[in-house]
Amino acid sequence: MKKIRIGAGSGYAPSKTGEALRLVREGNINYICFDQLAELTMSILSKNQQKDPTKGYLTGHIEGMKQILPEAHKRGVKIITNGGGVNPEAAADQILKIAADNNIKGLKVAVIKGDNIAGRIDELLEKGWKFTNLETGEDDVSKIKDNILIANAYIGSDSIIAALEAGADVVVAGRCSDSALFVAPIMHEFGWKFEDVYWPRIGAAITIGHTLECADFVTGVASPVWEHVPKPDEIVYPLAEVSEDGTAILEMPSSGGGLLNEWTVKSQLVYEVHDPKNYIMPDGVADMTAVKVEDLGNNRVKLSNMTGKRRPDTLKVIIGYPGGFIAEVMNYISAPKALTKARRVEEIGWKNLAKYGMKREDVDVQIDYIGINSILKSIVPTPDEDEINEIGLRIAARGKNPLEAGLIAVSFLDMSPVGFTVSVPSKPRSYISLWPTLIPREEVPTSFIMKRLE
Amino acid sequence: MSKKVLIKELAYVRSGDKGDISNVGIMAFNKENYEVLRKQVTPQKVKDHYKELVKGEVKIYEMPNIDSLQVVMYKALGGGATSTLRFDETGKAMCLGMLFMQVEVPDGFKPVRPPM
Repeated sequence: MKKIRIGAGSGYAPSKTGEALRLVREGNINYICFDQLAELTMSILSKNQQKDPTKGYLTGHIEGMKQILPEAHKRGVKIITNGGGVNPEAAADQILKIAADNNIKGLKVAVIKGDNIAGRIDELLEKGWKFTNLETGEDDVSKIKDNILIANAYIGSDSIIAALEAGADVVVAGRCSDSALFVAPIMHEFGWKFEDVYWPRIGAAITIGHTLECADFVTGVASPVWEHVPKPDEIVYPLAEVSEDGTAILEMPSSGGGLLNEWTVKSQLVYEVHDPKNYIMPDGVADMTAVKVEDLGNNRVKLSNMTGKRRPDTLKVIIGYPGGFIAEVMNYISAPKALTKARRVEEIGWKNLAKYGMKREDVDVQIDYIGINSILKSIVPTPDEDEINEIGLRIAARGKNPLEAGLIAVSFLDMSPVGFTVSVPSKPRSYISLWPTLIPREEVPTSFIMKRLE
Repeated sequence: MSKKVLIKELAYVRSGDKGDISNVGIMAFNKENYEVLRKQVTPQKVKDHYKELVKGEVKIYEMPNIDSLQVVMYKALGGGATSTLRFDETGKAMCLGMLFMQVEVPDGFKPVRPPM
């Protein structure tokens, strides 16, 4: 039975070039796939591109290709990445430059197009499509559409597969779904199509992709069994040996640290999946309640019995737009009576706010007692005051402009009756809001262009 | 007769985010624990437990194939990673709150040692 070996070269940015290299050298892999994008990343990259039109991709990641590309090329390992961000063509040009510098002749680099739908919102609104906000239910996208930073559809693997069929050695995408990076080589190698007979196997490919797409999140990072992870400073990236029957064995290089077992794999299977029976991806709908997880020992875990259903008629879109400003101040308060003092400071802050004419219920502010409840609030019990050495009282506020946010935050910097250590308030920072929505699949045609180094 | 134990005696957890939605995966140590959790970890109980953090609805899905529950909490991250005022921007620690939730077990129930 035909088998292919696919490694995860990153799961987020910044990533570890050294671990991607280790996989290329020791993993005996055919493909290495790099997920570089979080929900916010595209908005940040678009700001970079506004400043410099030749940017807009993950620069650190592409820089890492100086080491990875020659090693991958030597071994015939193909590279698939979504680190092209909002400017995959510029990223591809950089990769071609790296190839030229390393005398790699004939390299074919494909650029995936079609995920950017920012220019088409008006047209689709006129056609009657509503970009309803999936989280808030708001219908009226027009209130943000004049100042959007980005609007990208999470595209599937169609054009990545087409590029591989055309012989691409490197595929550079923008906002394709994380799992598509892995689904594409699996479908390409096994000749699976987006047709009825293949949906269960595509569901398997999505599930396998999901276990790999966060890279070291399945080999010991952010793990409930973190105390048992060997050499935590050297946690390696994983790979899957995928069989044509739709099963896979997850493995990892043996030379570094990390852990791959039943529990690290389950942790990843539940990670950021909502309805597990219907894990909706652009390439299909995986059923994660079917998969059988078998710990083979020695950092090998078998996945079988995976399945799925037909791909959806809509694609997810994220629209990024300027949200406002956040200001933050910190007060550091020491024992004795640190908690009483912190509460006193908070109380004075609320009174100061009132003096500035702001009502408690109108301001958008968060108050954290660091060391007491800043992460889980009252879910964790408050310690006795005698046991508290110090507290960081942190105030964060949102406002429409820097002045408003800043004024709320500094209202809580009143040291007169208590005496504490304050840090100089940092400049309020702008933040980006996201508008998650859907778009009809047929409105997002994708394609690729092939660039070749002669 | 029954007694109360914390979920940390019964399961591992991990959480993540999508926008303002937080999800907590609860991975029971064994099938017996899974049954306890499946019956007692209800949307209302989760909503009460996370009342200061979660402002929207809670949905719970079962994954009997891996003895796990998937808890999905809406309006749960202070607006989502990009705009939240919280330290835990991506909700990676939301799962740890689940370890402090109590469930009832029979008096004779002896928690198994965590598998690792």
